[in-house]
Amino acid sequence: MSRSISRLFALASLFALASTSNALAHCFVGARFFPATLAIDDPCVADELSMPTVSWSKTADMPPATEWDFSGEISKRITENFGVSIGETWTQIRQPDGTVTAGFQDLETTFQYQLLKDRSHEFALLAGVIVDWGNTGAVNSGLGTSYSLVTPTLYFGKGFGDLPDTLSWVRPFALTGQVGYQMPTSSFDFTQAAFIPQQAVYGASLQYSLPYLKSEVVDLQLPDFFNHLIPIVEASFSTPVANNFGNPYTTTGTVNPGVIWIGGYFQIGLEAVIPINRESGSGVGVLGQLHLYLDDMFPATVGQPLFGGSQATPRKLTF
Amino acid sequence: MRLLTFVTSTLLVVLAGSAAMAHAFLDHAEPRVGSTVPTAPREVSLSFTQNVEPAFSSVEVSDANGARVDLGKPSISAGVMRVGLKPLSPGTYKVRWHVLSVDTHTTEGSFSFHVGP
Repeated sequence: MSRSISRLFALASLFALASTSNALAHCFVGARFFPATLAIDDPCVADELSMPTVSWSKTADMPPATEWDFSGEISKRITENFGVSIGETWTQIRQPDGTVTAGFQDLETTFQYQLLKDRSHEFALLAGVIVDWGNTGAVNSGLGTSYSLVTPTLYFGKGFGDLPDTLSWVRPFALTGQVGYQMPTSSFDFTQAAFIPQQAVYGASLQYSLPYLKSEVVDLQLPDFFNHLIPIVEASFSTPVANNFGNPYTTTGTVNPGVIWIGGYFQIGLEAVIPINRESGSGVGVLGQLHLYLDDMFPATVGQPLFGGSQATPRKLTF
Repeated sequence: MRLLTFVTSTLLVVLAGSAAMAHAFLDHAEPRVGSTVPTAPREVSLSFTQNVEPAFSSVEVSDANGARVDLGKPSISAGVMRVGLKPLSPGTYKVRWHVLSVDTHTTEGSFSFHVGP
């Protein structure tokens, strides 16, 4: 475990100290700001740090065990449109008889490319590949795997700010989502004596931005705290689609209603985690996250892409 | 404990940087966003959460037909941008703005206000 900690700390330090170029960042598309969502990813490359993300839930086992997950993820733009994320999760599972299993899950890296940002339609499109690296987690505890998972994924975000004024109260809504196809690098898990299915991994979020309501639609002069809130419902699912011999093709996932508070340099999110069926968990869990906007915290260093940032004089903005 | 050490250490590394600035959000406007004012205002005032760069920030006010009703170049002081208006008749007006905060982050937005009863 200490080697993993050292490795992650070294990576975080490298990102913090080595960045030197210029540009813009987190997920602004026109007047729309897409916050970092907790269960799925937002549709932009960015310089940001999610740490910690903490979740508590009851597993689908019978009787259910209690699971804690503590995770961190750092995202860094390499160029203006290409970014890399590195994330790690430490998990503790406590069985009803007191038996505890704990350790790191597999190291996860994500490579993403920003395909489109349409300001006038508040639309963003992002392509990525998520890789969960085998043998980097606690394989013996069953928290890591001996094989890797590769998941090509498409992400999107659409704000409804281009709706007509007659629907002005709908304009603060936004929809984001992602669709991926998860492929294991091995088709059979000899330790579990089971086939490893290929899975469709997908999710979405529906959010209502009170900051957008205040600055674009109507200033209700609410207390300032409320003007920073984005109520949100996220959903995240996975469905086996191939190489699932002898097993049911059951979709598992959760629906997460919650709220995100956004500030100038960070955001805090809190969601309930509701399993969609018995195979997805037991009872309602909780998910919370502190997310730092590195581009705002360190606009001249860490918050810039490593290469090809906006070194040039800013252009004159025109309508 | 090791995880706590990792989290704390990484946060310290990340937080040990230069003075922070952020995107400039519209904090409030006068006339207020989405408001109805009984008499025509002489100017539109936009207050942002950060100081903005005058050379790269602008505002435009137009009527329902898209015709400009502002007096052109805005005055900008720190985080407040003002633009004078031509005499306005009753109707709905659109304010569109772009700003560059002093740390080179751009933001933009638009809103309407109504003049009349």
